[in-house]
Amino acid sequence: MPGQIAGATAGTAAFPAVPLQETVLLPERIGELTGLDGFGLGGELLATFLAAFLIGNLMLAMTGVAGPWAKRKITAAFTDRIAVNRLGPAGLFIIIADAVRLLSKELVVPENADRPAYDLAPIVVASSALLGFAVIPMGNGIHLADPEVGLAYVFAVSGIASLGLVMAGYASANKYSLLGGLRAVAQNVAYEIPLVVTGMSVVIFAGTLQMGEIVSAQAEPFVTIAGISIPSWYALVNPFAFVLFLVANFAEVGRNPFDTPEAPTEIVAGYQTEYSSVYFVLIYLGEFLHIFLGGAIIATIFLGGPAGPVLPGIVWFIIKIWAVFFATQWLRSAVPRVRIDQLIEIGWKGLLVLAFANLILTAVIVGLIA
Amino acid sequence: MSTGLERGGQPPIEVTEDDLEALIGDRALARDDHMNAPGFVIRPDDVQSVLTDLRDEAGFDHLANLTAQEYADRYESIYHLRKYDDPTQEVSVVVPTTTDDPVSQSAEPVFRTADWHEREAFDLVGIDYEGHPDPRRILLPETWQGHPLSRGYDQEKPQLVTLTEHANPVQPDHHDDESDTMFLNIGPHHPATHGVLHIETVLDGETVVDVDPDIGYLHRCEEQMCQQGTYRHQIMPYPDRWDYVSAGLLNEWAYARTAEDLADIEVPEYAQVIRTMGAELCRIASHMLALATFALDVYGDFTAIFQYGMRDREVVQDILEDLTGQRLMFNYFRLGGVAWDLPEPREEFIEKTRDFLDELPAKVDEYNDLLTGNEIFQIRTHDTGILEPEVAKQYGCTGPVARGSGIDYDLRRDDPYGYYDNLEWDVVTEDGCDNYSRVLVRMQEVEESAKIIEQCLDLLEDWPEDERTVQSNVPRTLKPDADTEIYRAVEGAKGELGIYIRSDGTDKPGRFKIRSPCFHNLSALPEMSEGEYVPDLIASLGSLDIVLGEVDR
Repeated sequence: MPGQIAGATAGTAAFPAVPLQETVLLPERIGELTGLDGFGLGGELLATFLAAFLIGNLMLAMTGVAGPWAKRKITAAFTDRIAVNRLGPAGLFIIIADAVRLLSKELVVPENADRPAYDLAPIVVASSALLGFAVIPMGNGIHLADPEVGLAYVFAVSGIASLGLVMAGYASANKYSLLGGLRAVAQNVAYEIPLVVTGMSVVIFAGTLQMGEIVSAQAEPFVTIAGISIPSWYALVNPFAFVLFLVANFAEVGRNPFDTPEAPTEIVAGYQTEYSSVYFVLIYLGEFLHIFLGGAIIATIFLGGPAGPVLPGIVWFIIKIWAVFFATQWLRSAVPRVRIDQLIEIGWKGLLVLAFANLILTAVIVGLIA
Repeated sequence: MSTGLERGGQPPIEVTEDDLEALIGDRALARDDHMNAPGFVIRPDDVQSVLTDLRDEAGFDHLANLTAQEYADRYESIYHLRKYDDPTQEVSVVVPTTTDDPVSQSAEPVFRTADWHEREAFDLVGIDYEGHPDPRRILLPETWQGHPLSRGYDQEKPQLVTLTEHANPVQPDHHDDESDTMFLNIGPHHPATHGVLHIETVLDGETVVDVDPDIGYLHRCEEQMCQQGTYRHQIMPYPDRWDYVSAGLLNEWAYARTAEDLADIEVPEYAQVIRTMGAELCRIASHMLALATFALDVYGDFTAIFQYGMRDREVVQDILEDLTGQRLMFNYFRLGGVAWDLPEPREEFIEKTRDFLDELPAKVDEYNDLLTGNEIFQIRTHDTGILEPEVAKQYGCTGPVARGSGIDYDLRRDDPYGYYDNLEWDVVTEDGCDNYSRVLVRMQEVEESAKIIEQCLDLLEDWPEDERTVQSNVPRTLKPDADTEIYRAVEGAKGELGIYIRSDGTDKPGRFKIRSPCFHNLSALPEMSEGEYVPDLIASLGSLDIVLGEVDR
């Protein structure tokens, strides 16, 4: 079991009070607790489904808070405004009001829309992000699966989102949507490679693609200053890779300054121009899920996953992915958008080169130390 | 007194009326008497040759305005020419045509800006311009019947406006196996069009191949409404509605200046100081909005810089509200002065305005940190939306757009009015000719305006109490002599805002024509954006700082 290593090293890690990694994955634990594991394969499947349901809802609930409420509040703080404050404490109930508003809107489908693709696109966008959370260790045993190729899997499924964006772009029968779809795919191709290559430098450190192992590897002490041992989070071990990954990730999820696929002042809303009501909610949700998934990947491979002092792992994990979300909103308020040609140039001529330089450098250093 | 106001370089050549007479020679059929300038009546087929001579020989390189109107026996096109080097030198070229066959030679080959002007003259008055490259309507829909400002126009007649798909104008010459173009309607409803503007755009990938601004969605017959109001009180509220984003007092001044010169009305010095202060407050508010929305266009979201611009503009709006009683439609100027004195208690108003001016430098620093110092902002705006000075002059560009192209042209200094002559301030120019320069010009103009306001406040504070006359004695009814013609302009927030008035002996103008700076600046958009990317088109449009209310009137 991969988790055994984590369990074994927990005592020597920086924060020994909280076990970093549970040995048992969530479906198994649910199976144990409910007695479903006594029902063979069917019971196992049901337990897995329940676990996935829990994690999916946790993530959707977070997007629910992020989209209608946190985004407004954060942006307002940056721009000298107050934002929602009428419904409930600090305006929190706006989430309910917004949900009712968005879901009760009329679904307008363009006349010439390419129907199956037009309908599928929002689902692809939203589900591709949800799939990624399956392999993320969130602490306190909330970990759905830990396959040996976890990191490759998470990049693969989040890449499916590009397909959804292209489908949305061309199926809407709208020129702005088409432009947005084309921009999205050009951007994702340009930034996915640096993203994955930078991720690989972490793999060189950890020696594995398995998410659980990557997290455990980061629990090793990096340096000890005045008796406080600092864990070897890869953001500290290799800050250069961390920055590269962060930038590539912002481009990958299409946030400022790389939000060209939507670019409201240029191409209206890009690929989502023609989506309304539930479809819009799905795309909107998908975008936030992708930000959180990006945050989850960053937290897992650079920030020690759910590790942290005092608080339980899941809380630390949520704090970390919200920190990434906060960063996207900060950039949104302060940084101009680059032009599409500049964006592609930065991707291919800048980030890609730096990503490979980082990979080779890491390989050389790790090789020398080993 | 105004040491900061001298222009650099060679003094412009002085052209006397005799020189002009000699230059035009026997092409002049008669002389016309305009209050602003000598007028020459020429034949409809001599337009190009006379205008070419005036431009090349006499240096009249600025076609400020083209006024078209119909008399009982003839149509008339009046070309108002000025010099960018010295706008006090003016000449009017009057081109009459017969009523049954109103055909006049187009001036478009000489001045590019005549393109849109002649389209408007055709659209509203009904004069045909021979040799015009693009003789379409401009403000009204293409299917409109009749010409609303012509004498025989039937206002009761119902009009049918059909909806047809726009054709791709460059499809034939861009359609081959290798490349294909896409026709894209940007607007009339689009997040970046600053009102209801429709830009017919042809794209080759992300590159803009062809741009054609389609205006007129906000046409509200402002000229005709002014023609139906009396000089004394009924016209003044309208200018507020041309450029409605806080440039109200500047617009009012355009009308006040024209009508006061027309009817020979004196304005008390005290009122001139208040006017100057109010106008500069409006300029600050307007430039803040221009900066904020330009940031919006480049940043792409309602970002910090947009909100900061709005926040600081709000302070100016409050001061203007204290002064005029209104936040949007001020209606504060009167012929012969202003409506009332500074609000009581005076000290409080002056204190509040001073506080604003004191805080302004820190705010400008903040803008510089966030906006002009931002590297992404710089790579987005440097060398995009290039408008060469010669091209800008051809299109009649004025205001920050011209000054961002290095054209040293500011009517406050070059054609002085109000109290500007007695104050210390500088005209800001930048030589970059790009979107970035236009932003810089506006930022610095805010600081210059602050200087002007500061000096005005000092003057107002020390003004002896018994000499605070806010209005001179103006007759209740103004009836300027019949057929007096005048063109006067002021430096609005967007550029040269001019008004042509012909009186017909009644208490209402016979013809009221608005020379809108935004109209000219917008017409240069194709020159700035063709061959660049879509985002640059949007940025260039933002840097022009147009207000559709003023473009469409």
